[in-house]
Amino acid sequence: MSSSFTAEEQQLLSELGKHDATSDELAVRFDHVTKIYRLYKNDRGRFFSLIKRNNKAFVGEVRASDDLSFEVRKGEAVALIGRNGAGKSTALKMVTGVCHPTSGTVEVNGRVSALLELTAGFDGQLTGRENLELRSQIIGMSREEFKNVVEPAVIEFAELGLYIDQPMKTYSSGMKARLGFALAASIDPDILVVDEALSVGDRNFQRKCIDRMREIMSQEGVTVLFVTHDSNSAREFCTRGIVLEQGRSIYEGGIDEAIAYYEEHC
Amino acid sequence: MGTLGSILKDNWEWRGQIFNLAIFDLKKKARGAVLGWAWLLIKPTIYMAVFCFALAIGLRGGGGDPTSYPYFMWLISGLTPWFFMEEMIGSGSDALHKYPYLVNKMKFPLSGISTLYALSNFIINLALMVILLIVYVAVGMPIDIYLLQIPIIMLLMFVFFDFFSILCSQLSAISRDFSNMMKILAMLLFWVSGIIFDTSNLVEMGFGWFDTAMLFNPVTFFCAAIRGATCTKTFFWDDPALLGCFAIVFVLTVVMATIVYKRFNEEVADVL
Repeated sequence: MSSSFTAEEQQLLSELGKHDATSDELAVRFDHVTKIYRLYKNDRGRFFSLIKRNNKAFVGEVRASDDLSFEVRKGEAVALIGRNGAGKSTALKMVTGVCHPTSGTVEVNGRVSALLELTAGFDGQLTGRENLELRSQIIGMSREEFKNVVEPAVIEFAELGLYIDQPMKTYSSGMKARLGFALAASIDPDILVVDEALSVGDRNFQRKCIDRMREIMSQEGVTVLFVTHDSNSAREFCTRGIVLEQGRSIYEGGIDEAIAYYEEHC
Repeated sequence: MGTLGSILKDNWEWRGQIFNLAIFDLKKKARGAVLGWAWLLIKPTIYMAVFCFALAIGLRGGGGDPTSYPYFMWLISGLTPWFFMEEMIGSGSDALHKYPYLVNKMKFPLSGISTLYALSNFIINLALMVILLIVYVAVGMPIDIYLLQIPIIMLLMFVFFDFFSILCSQLSAISRDFSNMMKILAMLLFWVSGIIFDTSNLVEMGFGWFDTAMLFNPVTFFCAAIRGATCTKTFFWDDPALLGCFAIVFVLTVVMATIVYKRFNEEVADVL
């Protein structure tokens, strides 16, 4: 569908705000994905379950994703809508690659940046700047790209002042979240994964975050996966919605229809 | 087989990140002290000095032949590789718990965590080995062809304990019992592996079976190999029994690490 537009027309279209897929290339594909968490009374029970089959400590299993299949094309903005425990965050975690499906396949094409659990995963012993360097190296950024582009952008965005060179154990939770958001928002992702991370910092900073998110989303070719209970922000950012319930996809369609379905059925 | 391939491939593809993380790990250890980096070496050096004082002057644990090399040389040649091995058995066996954010907050190969931990300790151990060689030259020991095997032994030690850590840290992630067991084992191995005494002395004392059992102990193998280079002037392949037994243990460790990695790798992020 994109091939009929010239580059200028596409630029114009993308500036209009929320956008449709710009190509038929797949960014994310879930193919009959099931994720089962086996729960035990305690760690001892988990350990013994390795040895014997029938185990009293086994309390049950949770299907966080249950035969979940969907596709997101490159450049699309899709909202995952559902109640608490519907399996939205598990699905996003599988996109970011930190957790693996029990069965089925998850296919992801492109660099993923995740706005999930912003305060987690920083090393308290290292300074803010060192943490930034470490993180961007782990996701495979070159030293030049970090030094010349990302580092100044993040430091300016996070507004930490002199604290950027202090160990992160001295940071308040708001400072950590600001740094986390600033980094995730600065790394020019192919796929942006957002898990209701927009309640960071004071009102000014929140506005800045939302502006920055809009900016990323309006870029051509950036795929967005957005998790929310808030239908307004879903409407603002996304064109398509997938409604999840108990790990299954129960509705898939245009954002307005999906929200209507969610509000009616869930 | 495929799993072993993917462990090696992951470690190769992520080598840049692994190296950087190892350097950051060292930086963290040196942080917050005026002497900083020096502490990484002061502790083992003092440790060795105490042992030399206690054993060379006090107890005379007996190791080798004092006419061709000084006893303290024999002692520190065994202690130097031990510092690396102790760290790897005691803490490297629980590497995943040290980097929870790499396990379940970021995409990073779990076997790479063992490698980066091994690497950061290996760098410290290389520095200790340099000190050892300086002492070696300073006391007037000969510079000969036997010293050339040291880099090979060190590399072998690194690879073996990397796989050891891949094996153990997966199990430790599933159950803390395992990591506690390993901490005790590290202490136990110090006393039984012949680091501060010569296991061959045991044969005369009627504990020959113990000496035989220690052939399968990789700690004994590496201490004996380094001592071969600096003191007894042998190559580590000169004793086919010792090398053969180590090869068996090495292959078993790699096989077990592969099996365990295949079974638990994807589950670990859920339970850690």
